[in-house]
Amino acid sequence: MEPSLLEVKDVLKSYFENGKEFKVLDLIRFELAERDFVCVVGPSGCGKSTLLRIIVGLEPPTSGQVLFEGSPIRADNPQVAMVFQSFALFPWLTVTQNVELGLEAQGIPPEGRHARARKFIDAVGLTGFENAFPRELSGGMKQRVGLARALAIEPLLLCMDEPFSSLDPLTAQNLRDEILQLWANPDLPPKAVLMVTHSIEEAVYLADRVIVLSSRPGRMVAELEIDLPRPRNRKEPEFYGWVDEIYSLIV
Amino acid sequence: MSNTGDDDGRKTPVKDFHSMAKVSVGQILGLVEAVDEVGGLADAATISREVEMDVDRLGPILTAAEFLGLVTIEDGDIRITELSRKLLTANVRERKRIVREIIDDMPAFRLVMEMARSSGAPLGRQQVVQALADRVGSHQAEDVFNALVYWGRYAELVRYDSGSEQLTVRIAQT
Ligand SMILES: Nc1ncnc2c1ncn2[C@@H]1O[C@H](COP(=O)(O)OP(=O)(O)O)[C@@H](O)[C@H]1O
Ligand SMILES: [Mg+2]
Repeated sequence: MEPSLLEVKDVLKSYFENGKEFKVLDLIRFELAERDFVCVVGPSGCGKSTLLRIIVGLEPPTSGQVLFEGSPIRADNPQVAMVFQSFALFPWLTVTQNVELGLEAQGIPPEGRHARARKFIDAVGLTGFENAFPRELSGGMKQRVGLARALAIEPLLLCMDEPFSSLDPLTAQNLRDEILQLWANPDLPPKAVLMVTHSIEEAVYLADRVIVLSSRPGRMVAELEIDLPRPRNRKEPEFYGWVDEIYSLIV
Repeated sequence: MSNTGDDDGRKTPVKDFHSMAKVSVGQILGLVEAVDEVGGLADAATISREVEMDVDRLGPILTAAEFLGLVTIEDGDIRITELSRKLLTANVRERKRIVREIIDDMPAFRLVMEMARSSGAPLGRQQVVQALADRVGSHQAEDVFNALVYWGRYAELVRYDSGSEQLTVRIAQT
């Protein structure tokens, strides 16, 4: 049997201050397969960002393990990309240069980089802004650069840490829809998406599966298959049923 | 007709583009999606509540959406148009084309196109701002210029290099 794309096995995380244990995550265990769009939802401070950092190999768990395609995850794994809430763009680089940055690190030659950058800049709707600097962009456009940069490395797994939470509500909703459009195109990477958010509504809108965490230390309270057809309408009773159910699990 | 850019009657239309200065593509599309989600018709207070944005912030977005022909506003009711329905079902690239078709013959863009054609060279920022100032007043000219660059880039109508401050008109694509 092929290993899952991602296996999070009994991950536990504590920080230690003056010899005192401060537990952040408790026994997190789940798997991701190809074509999974999974959202981890939980209140602010419950350990979501910590969990993502552990999953992409930026931080070790205190105990437990993260396997990617059956092997322990490494931070330099080019099959995993990350999109950040704060966009994490270099202000002195243009859109194209920001997108090409990750490709350079992978040793892709210049012509290959340009072609790859052009393809993903176009996919996220940024053609026309190639030589713009971040300060010339709206918030939604900035996050599109973050997305193009992540997709350009053609990852199998895309991780996103609250990617919409610094955008105004209208821009956020528009970008959610456009990300779902990209996701619906099987010719484009990634093969799976793992997103963390504190917004239950957002998780139910986007995900095939929602993992619900308790407040700190984050513990898995439920793992739910959201079987609503797409496109989803946030005004429908079925949608609200899911939101209410998850809400009642957290409080 | 010749020299349409200097026609007196066009002063106001160029100025109208100022409503595009304070809003982004994402906000306009998000608004259209929000009105659609509540059935295509709603009053401003309802939309404001639905999208959790107060009317002060929503106002400029509504004005711009109306200016683009994406919504009509009548007695406080906001209704999406046929054009909006086209946008809603379009993909990322088609959306850019639809917006291009809406804005490319707006007086503000026509003015820039005319200038580019008669000069035959890239336009300097100052040159365009000056021409805009004649029509919209100097205090709004910068805003209108920035809006032309932002929306012109999105619609792939112009290229702009903020280092050299040179604006070029892109060859129309299909
Ligand atoms: N490097 C660290 N050292 C000590 N405590 C940390 C560190 N990183 C995060 N924490 C704490 O862990 C908890 C979870 O943080 P975080 O993962 O950022 O939560 P979330 O993303 O869900 O809001 C918070 O209480 C935070 O203060
Ligand atoms: Mg966080």
